[in-house]
Amino acid sequence: MSDQLLSAVSQYGAPALFLVVAIAAVGVPLPITLLLIVAGSMVAQGAMNLWWVIVAASAGSILGDQAGYAIGRWGGQAAVTRLSRWFGKGVDLQAVEAKARAWGGPGIFITRWVLSPLGPWINLASGTAAFPWRQFVLWDALGEITGAAIYISVGRIFSDRVMAMDAVLGDVTWAIAALLAAVILGYQLVAYLRRARA
Amino acid sequence: MLVLGLAFVLAITGTFVFAYRAGRQARRIRAENEPIRAWMSIPFIAHTRHVPAPVLFQAIGLQAEPHDRRSIRHIAHDLKRPVPDLMAQVQRAVDAAAQASGNQPR
Repeated sequence: MSDQLLSAVSQYGAPALFLVVAIAAVGVPLPITLLLIVAGSMVAQGAMNLWWVIVAASAGSILGDQAGYAIGRWGGQAAVTRLSRWFGKGVDLQAVEAKARAWGGPGIFITRWVLSPLGPWINLASGTAAFPWRQFVLWDALGEITGAAIYISVGRIFSDRVMAMDAVLGDVTWAIAALLAAVILGYQLVAYLRRARA
Repeated sequence: MLVLGLAFVLAITGTFVFAYRAGRQARRIRAENEPIRAWMSIPFIAHTRHVPAPVLFQAIGLQAEPHDRRSIRHIAHDLKRPVPDLMAQVQRAVDAAAQASGNQPR
């Protein structure tokens, strides 16, 4: 499956990338990070235009995310449960919905590119939790454009090391996620200590 | 308070562990070759292995065409050849091109 997708992007360029990222954003597990890195490498080779690739990847992801949000908002719990049964084995939807409520907009932003496996489930949960659509679009677009720009740039810079970069990025994104958690927890810890002293 | 403190320490530890792993992996892969995969096109392989694309096209009996972005699997299908055979032939051409230019095969 991955092979076919990678060769489709390699052969047909930005339109194929747009289609694949849109499908992945709905919840189908596809190797999107690797696809974006490969697209970046193809930009470096002169086979694709940088801006077209970023626009195609961002637009495809945003479209797919909107579909996920709409399923959650108007499809109801039954549609969400059916979708999670197909693509999200082991995903605890109630836990994701609780996260979506707690994290709000920044949670949507972070799950577009750092905690991206959670992205499709946050879309559904944002829909079922009736998160305001305009705010969802804003945070979603910010996150998707950031993610696309970062991964495509990585592929462009390390254009002769795409497979290797895909392997390294797994650890890098977890390091970023852990760092973000440390910053948030550190902030809460300092606030708690200040309150205790006062 | 205790739970918050422990979670903070855990997050800091996680940051360093994953950053260390990423750094170690990055150092290791710098010395390794990028593998040839069936989804890769000939210009893509030529770019990652730093060899001229026409040399690779020629090696598999095709006319050099920079806009030919067909994957190895697609070319193998068109040529009615097994994919592993074609990949091995491309690998040999990469090695030969690297040796001819005085570099280590990549």
